[in-house]
Amino acid sequence: MAQHDSLFRSSPMSLAQLYISNEIGREVVSALGELGCVQFRDLNHETTAFQRTFTKEIRRLDNVERQLNYFKAQMEKSSIPMRSSYEFEESMLAAPNAGEIDELAERSEGLEQRISGLNESYETLKKREVELTEWRWVLKEAGGFFDRAHGHTEDIRQSIDDDDAPLLRDVEQESARANGDAQGQQSFAVMNIGFVAGVIPRERLAAFERILWRTLRGNLYMNQSEIPDPIIDPTNNEEIHKNVFVIFAHGKEIIAKIRKISESLGADLYSVDENGDLRRDQIHEVNTRLSDLASVLRNTKNTLDAELTQIARSLAAWMIIIRKEKAVYSALNKCSYDQARKTLIAETWCPTQSIPLIKSTLQDVNDRAGLSVPTIVNQIKTNKTPPTYNKTNKFTEGFQTIINAYGTAKYQEVNPGLYTIVTFPFLFAVMFGDLGHGFLITLAACAMIYWEKPLQRSKQDELFAMAFYGRYIMLMMGIYSMFTGLIYNDVFSQSLSLFESQWEWEKVEQPGQTVTAHLKKDHRYPFGLDWAWHGTGNELLFSNSFKMKLAILLGWAHMTYSLMLSLVNARFFKSKIDIWGNFVPGMIFFQSIFGYLIFCIIYKWSVDWYAIGRNPPGLLNMLINMFLKPGQVDPEEQLFPGQAGIQVTLLLLAVIQVPILLLLKPLYLRYEHNKTVAQGYRGIGDTSRVTHALDDEEDEENPDRRTNGRDSFGDDEGGAMITQNIGGSADDEEHEEFEYSEIQIHQTIHTIEFCLNCVSHTASYLRLWALSLAHQQLSIVLWNMTIGGAFGTESFALRVVMIIVTFFMWFFLSIAILCVMEGTSAMLHSLRLHWVEAMSKHFVGDGLPFEPFSFKLLLEEDPVD
Amino acid sequence: MANGWSIIIGLVFVVLASLVAWFFSPKGENNTVWRSTLILSFASCYIMWAITFLAQWHPLIEPYRNTLRPGYE
Repeated sequence: MAQHDSLFRSSPMSLAQLYISNEIGREVVSALGELGCVQFRDLNHETTAFQRTFTKEIRRLDNVERQLNYFKAQMEKSSIPMRSSYEFEESMLAAPNAGEIDELAERSEGLEQRISGLNESYETLKKREVELTEWRWVLKEAGGFFDRAHGHTEDIRQSIDDDDAPLLRDVEQESARANGDAQGQQSFAVMNIGFVAGVIPRERLAAFERILWRTLRGNLYMNQSEIPDPIIDPTNNEEIHKNVFVIFAHGKEIIAKIRKISESLGADLYSVDENGDLRRDQIHEVNTRLSDLASVLRNTKNTLDAELTQIARSLAAWMIIIRKEKAVYSALNKCSYDQARKTLIAETWCPTQSIPLIKSTLQDVNDRAGLSVPTIVNQIKTNKTPPTYNKTNKFTEGFQTIINAYGTAKYQEVNPGLYTIVTFPFLFAVMFGDLGHGFLITLAACAMIYWEKPLQRSKQDELFAMAFYGRYIMLMMGIYSMFTGLIYNDVFSQSLSLFESQWEWEKVEQPGQTVTAHLKKDHRYPFGLDWAWHGTGNELLFSNSFKMKLAILLGWAHMTYSLMLSLVNARFFKSKIDIWGNFVPGMIFFQSIFGYLIFCIIYKWSVDWYAIGRNPPGLLNMLINMFLKPGQVDPEEQLFPGQAGIQVTLLLLAVIQVPILLLLKPLYLRYEHNKTVAQGYRGIGDTSRVTHALDDEEDEENPDRRTNGRDSFGDDEGGAMITQNIGGSADDEEHEEFEYSEIQIHQTIHTIEFCLNCVSHTASYLRLWALSLAHQQLSIVLWNMTIGGAFGTESFALRVVMIIVTFFMWFFLSIAILCVMEGTSAMLHSLRLHWVEAMSKHFVGDGLPFEPFSFKLLLEEDPVD
Repeated sequence: MANGWSIIIGLVFVVLASLVAWFFSPKGENNTVWRSTLILSFASCYIMWAITFLAQWHPLIEPYRNTLRPGYE
């Protein structure tokens, strides 16, 4: 029917064999990647990834990719922005020829060496700088210790003599002894006291002290102070807080021990001279060296940054090129060769419609290469199931994703994605109906559509990305919500009086008097719910009855529509038995119960019961009695004459459908099968019967033999693959043997499911009523709690303030609770109604998704920046 | 103004609109999407409107309230 591929069915697919001259294999595959409508079949799936032809090339490209990623990481480290891939022209990103790839590989090799060299020297310099800084701190702080320590030589000697004296006392008594340090001004060396100075990370200090104390049994004098600035570790750019320490102790062995302990705890030791003048010189020297180092560091950093900036300008393009090149080789790995290795043979799935496009593209590549041997595209017949491919655009993409999330449609069956475009947002709107909230949603969707391009390129968080992906779904949801809002006559829980009401109120004599409205003679409210109901005592009573019936009616319409699609499917696949064994009995069953209920609802609405002087009969009791007391209708409760007879007929009709549904299809299939077997045919893939003459044991070995046989077959020459497709059954799809019991079980399950689901699914649509009621009541409550209350405030000034404050509260809560939260919940319910209630009526969904070899998809899935 | 005939008149309008949508949908590969979306929309909206209209055609209850002020017409 359709010349164009439409969303109604998946595109017709062809299996095509491409015979490509070996020299231009890479170019052809890369042109197909740009085209993006071809799926390569893996012809070497028995070989491992390492045994394939182009493993070496892929490894090489992996290496280049790693180098490029290294550049990217370096850029991020020094926060140099990468030029966005969107800024490059299309021609720059096209797959280049092999020479250019080699050049790029060499270049990135060289660049990597240069960058890593620079980095290394930078890090070495940085480390040197840290060391010098630490040394400077030690020199500075140690000066203070020495000055203090000189005053304590006596104590130290004392404490050496007296093992019991705690070391800490020295510190406590320090101030008292400050005066007498003139006599203590003698060299440590004379006293045989040595010292160790260095820095240690602050968190290790406590452990350090404890260990020293225990191992030396307190034979030490330790002084430490904090370095105020954190020290940056050049290897990982982390800040570390460190302390300077100086330890004095007696004896060479002890000093050596201290050195060992401190080194093992990660302390860095620095040499400090005890002489004050020498120390000053040292500090001076360290300072000069530091400033020299700083200038060298600055230069190195500048060179590195300049180099990286240079790379940043074209890095994105390189990454894309390499990514494409890698994909090309992976695709080439799926192809096979003829014996002489002159021709590359690829098997591809592609939409039948794009075969001319593919042919012309291949011709172009051939012409450019100047080859006389043309690339041959050979369409082959096959019994393999083609993949399901629904071509989408940015509008339909979101809706199709909803369907694909549930399952991939069977090849060429009716695609629910088409009607989902309307029914999904519409059922959402039935639950969400409010003109104001719908408007807000439409506004948000329009904004996202208007700023589509910039938003697409910006980084999005997960939640926003989801809303953005579904922006067209949101647009439709918003538009339909505005419509249903008008029908429900709800604008932010208030009502609109667009038309003249059909109700006339009695005259009100005094405030607080209960008055009733009466129906006007020949006027009905033309669009939506009458605003006269708004704020009345029995508003809920009326709107509940209305919305409940609305839900049932819409559910019936939705399910009947979906059920009709199974007829369309059966007709398309020319399966008469599915029409007579599944569709017709199912439809009669459904309509004779629920179709009849729908008829009664509408009939009851169209009769003016009070005018004919009767009480309106209850529908619920009618339906229950239809099953419990068939053939009996209470005259008081009678809807129409002859009701009893019709109900009995319908009931019988429904009951008869159950055995038909249960048995017709399996029995028919068995009859067909027996007939073909009797005529001596057997299924093409029915390999098990070929060997039925052999023993059972050999029968089990059969699968191996089959593959062995085919392997040698495939090795002969490429052309043999055509026979392979038709001849043997492929590994991935076995022809099912006919087994009656299995079919009968399957059909029994289907029958039970269908009959029960008719009831439960109809009830399930009541969620439309429940959610729309909840939404309406919630928005009324929100209004009354905030801005509605503010209008009644007595004092004028207070009222102004209250109205402003409560308006913002109301507005933001409206967005957060009513639009976002309620909207999400309504969306999920609508999703369920599609996946479960509608799609179960016709959707087979055992298809394989079409995964085209496309550079565009490749880059979309994993963007370079 | 509006009475029972509105249902039929509305149906005629929707059928006409659907015919227009069928014949005047943009040609090309999105033709099916246009047709299905427009016609299904018209049908859904009509069903919803018609149900609402029918529910109020012969209402079984009358609204009452006690919040009206004297002098309300």
